[in-house]
Amino acid sequence: MTSSDALAGHTFEELSDYLDRDRTPADPSIEGSPECQTALNGMQRLRSVHRDLLLKDAQRESEREDSWVSSILQHISLEARAGRDIPISHSSPTARLSVTEGAVRGILRAAGDSVPNIIVGRCHLDGDVTEPGAPITVRVDATVLEGEIIASLADQLREALYAALRQHTELAVEAIDITIRDLYQPFVPPAKASSDE
Amino acid sequence: MPPTPTREPVSSPLESFPDQVLSDRAADGDMRAFEVLVRRYGPLMRVYASRVLGSNDEMDDVVQESFITAWQQLPTLENGAAVKSWLMRIVSRKSVDRVRARRQHVNIDLTDAPAPAQQSPHRLAEAGSQTEALTRVLAELPEDQRRCWMLRELAECSYGEIAAELEIPVSTVRGLLARARKTLLQEMEEWR
Repeated sequence: MTSSDALAGHTFEELSDYLDRDRTPADPSIEGSPECQTALNGMQRLRSVHRDLLLKDAQRESEREDSWVSSILQHISLEARAGRDIPISHSSPTARLSVTEGAVRGILRAAGDSVPNIIVGRCHLDGDVTEPGAPITVRVDATVLEGEIIASLADQLREALYAALRQHTELAVEAIDITIRDLYQPFVPPAKASSDE
Repeated sequence: MPPTPTREPVSSPLESFPDQVLSDRAADGDMRAFEVLVRRYGPLMRVYASRVLGSNDEMDDVVQESFITAWQQLPTLENGAAVKSWLMRIVSRKSVDRVRARRQHVNIDLTDAPAPAQQSPHRLAEAGSQTEALTRVLAELPEDQRRCWMLRELAECSYGEIAAELEIPVSTVRGLLARARKTLLQEMEEWR
């Protein structure tokens, strides 16, 4: 590697590492050395040329026809996510009806999506869902739009989830616990659109 | 069961959901959320695979395999917010496996890997530009340096993640990255 004399006693490796630490904490012996600055600017330029290249390449890839996306989706299966079978009663004693746990999670997400400004993430059904009448606790993770009143959105969500579960299942839901995991920013159109000149 | 059509929250289409939510929902079986991840990161994964493979014709297979693996393993991903670098590591692994398999066949099949499939007139017209030159120089880097560089600059992995992925010490990652940068920089100086 370059003799470290030319880089104010630093090695190129130290500078590369310093750049990857976002130049924090600031090191005066690096920031004050013109040679180090030249090397850092070079690496920064390299990074920005590379970003341009990536952007161009990724843009070209996303403009290709969509067949590869559908081919991927055809190869994945929902079976792996089905989970337990949840029985549903029927007037005929010989009929056996059930709905999968995965489908119930889908119902919870869809119900959650009817409440604006809150997004349902993972859903868990705690308790023996295979046993009719067994007490069940539903645990749901959610993300809330920044600036919203969390408690009131959580209440609306809980109502919507109860209603959907009553309508589609016979689960004896004891509680719906909602954990707000994060806040999200209002929707901003993707960066792609802003690079139109 | 198709999701009941409900009032679409205009302010937040699925396409705009944060990574964390999308990967959580996909882990729970939401195919639409998974599709958004495929569209969001598929193009970058294709770029990654094409750089490692040097050709486009195996890229579709590798990216498809990567997403199938991702779908299967998503429920084990602890931090959904890190789904991007997680996906990039999967495609990195699959691409390298493919190159290794290709090498094992080299005695049987002596035909060279096809020339990089980026020879469209558009690309040729760009030749000589900085980005074009960078593509060339990147392809000539020693393999360990290139993998480090790509995991860092494409996949945005931390030094620790790169070390774990390549099974080398963090100090080696630091050294390889510095050497890659130095070589690339020297080449870049020559284009100016």
